[in-house]
Amino acid sequence: MKLFLGMTGLAICALASSFLFREFNFGSSELKFIADFGFGGMTVFGSALAIIVTAQLLLGEIEHRTAMTLLAKPVYRSEFVLGKFLGVWVTVACFIGMLTLCLVLALWMRESSIRLDYPEEIEQGQSLVHYGGILWFSLAQVFRIGILCALVTLFSTYATSSIFAMVMGVLVWIVGQLQHVATEAGGVVENLVLKTIYSVMGYALPNFHLFDVGEGLAMGEALPISLVGKLLIYGVLYSVFYLAVATASFNRREL
Amino acid sequence: MSAAISIQGVSKDFRIPGSKRRLRAVDNLNLEIERGSVFGLLGPNGSGKSTTIKMALGLVRPSQGKCEILGNSSLESSARKRIGYLPEAPCFQRFLTGRELLFYFGKLSGVKKTDLEDRVNSLLVRVGLEDAGDRRVGGYSKGMLQRIGLAQAMVGDPELFILDEPTAGVDPIGAADIAAIIREVREEGKTVLLCSHLLSKVETICDRAAIMVKGKLALEGSVESLTAATDFSSARIEGLSAEGRKQLETFAAEWHFDLSTPRRSLEELFLELAKGDGDLE
Repeated sequence: MKLFLGMTGLAICALASSFLFREFNFGSSELKFIADFGFGGMTVFGSALAIIVTAQLLLGEIEHRTAMTLLAKPVYRSEFVLGKFLGVWVTVACFIGMLTLCLVLALWMRESSIRLDYPEEIEQGQSLVHYGGILWFSLAQVFRIGILCALVTLFSTYATSSIFAMVMGVLVWIVGQLQHVATEAGGVVENLVLKTIYSVMGYALPNFHLFDVGEGLAMGEALPISLVGKLLIYGVLYSVFYLAVATASFNRREL
Repeated sequence: MSAAISIQGVSKDFRIPGSKRRLRAVDNLNLEIERGSVFGLLGPNGSGKSTTIKMALGLVRPSQGKCEILGNSSLESSARKRIGYLPEAPCFQRFLTGRELLFYFGKLSGVKKTDLEDRVNSLLVRVGLEDAGDRRVGGYSKGMLQRIGLAQAMVGDPELFILDEPTAGVDPIGAADIAAIIREVREEGKTVLLCSHLLSKVETICDRAAIMVKGKLALEGSVESLTAATDFSSARIEGLSAEGRKQLETFAAEWHFDLSTPRRSLEELFLELAKGDGDLE
């Protein structure tokens, strides 16, 4: 709970700081600058929250030996793993929901003040920000972080310390952000072994870069629903795959 | 009817980290625990008792042999529906109150919602925690943790109890209360597998006992048969006068036997003081 509140506070501070930097917006529009801060906060703090809480929740039960009493009851290990995953996922979804609310509020406040400052330049009824798109974007981030939670759950099922699971989670998060590089390299490289390695990595690891689709939302551009749908399916498939492997791994674990 | 616990030719090897060698924690163990009995599993530290218990609960897979609980494989989740387990030095979710903890484990054990409240209340009374039921488990003393642990083991009304060191960290009054609960449970026709270092407790509670040494079964039988000394007899004389004692001492010297004054144990003394008003009889 303390971690959740801490991360939420940090993310809101990061979002609020975007108001201070709006004079140094590096060529982007003010609204886009605020949106980028908000999206960045969701991804970075949401991922950190997911990695830390997932590792602590599952391994904490094993390290504190509460899992022994629990699994001595008629509880399947798959239920235990799935329960932990859902617990973290819902927590992260709440975090993203709260940040989305703050982001929408920040954008709406700034949009209103811009409207007052430049009433003639902006057409009546024209929205500068696509708020519906922001909601869809946030939903996609929930599924992106769902994949990360499933992966850290998998590491936690065989790790002996939560630090190991957290470090693996951070590494996978970095690799996942750069996964498209491996996929592209697989297409260029001619060496069969390297090509195979890149291809396997391309399929085995998720491509988190796919979820970075918020580029034009603060400039009034819509987010195609079909794209959001594809991202949700992508997120569900990878999460289910990692959770299935996590369950198989945890079934073999001796407590 | 099948045995409550049937362990047939079970061995367990653990890999030693950083080495190809394996450590045999349990070696070809055969054990049958009859239903309705209290069975004591004894042995020094590292003798394989806890591993045996974990295998019986399906928390650890045997390397060889098979382990059955109430006729089902111990690896099946359904087998655990009829088991109440109290781990050694139990750890619970610290943020829950004792009452919430029992509700939580009651739900996991499949107790009907309608029965749960009554059962939780009666268990809190039975283990002597009725006044501490609404306090967080994180603030419980060792003895209180053992009591709430025993209550969570009982919440599903199981047929078989597996209790690992149930009296560890508990004061003599608490230990006597726990022993009384174990006796009550036996009277209800349930089976108890008890693992303890307090041999005097085991002797008074258990019907049968087994002693494990270095992963192997060293001895097994009824407590009476295990503790009976065949070449030894004793007599108890109450109200012996000084003259009578003198004659008896002469007789003892002639026949080469020992004459001693029986002592009461410190535990008896403590219980008498703590349960009474501080005066000894």
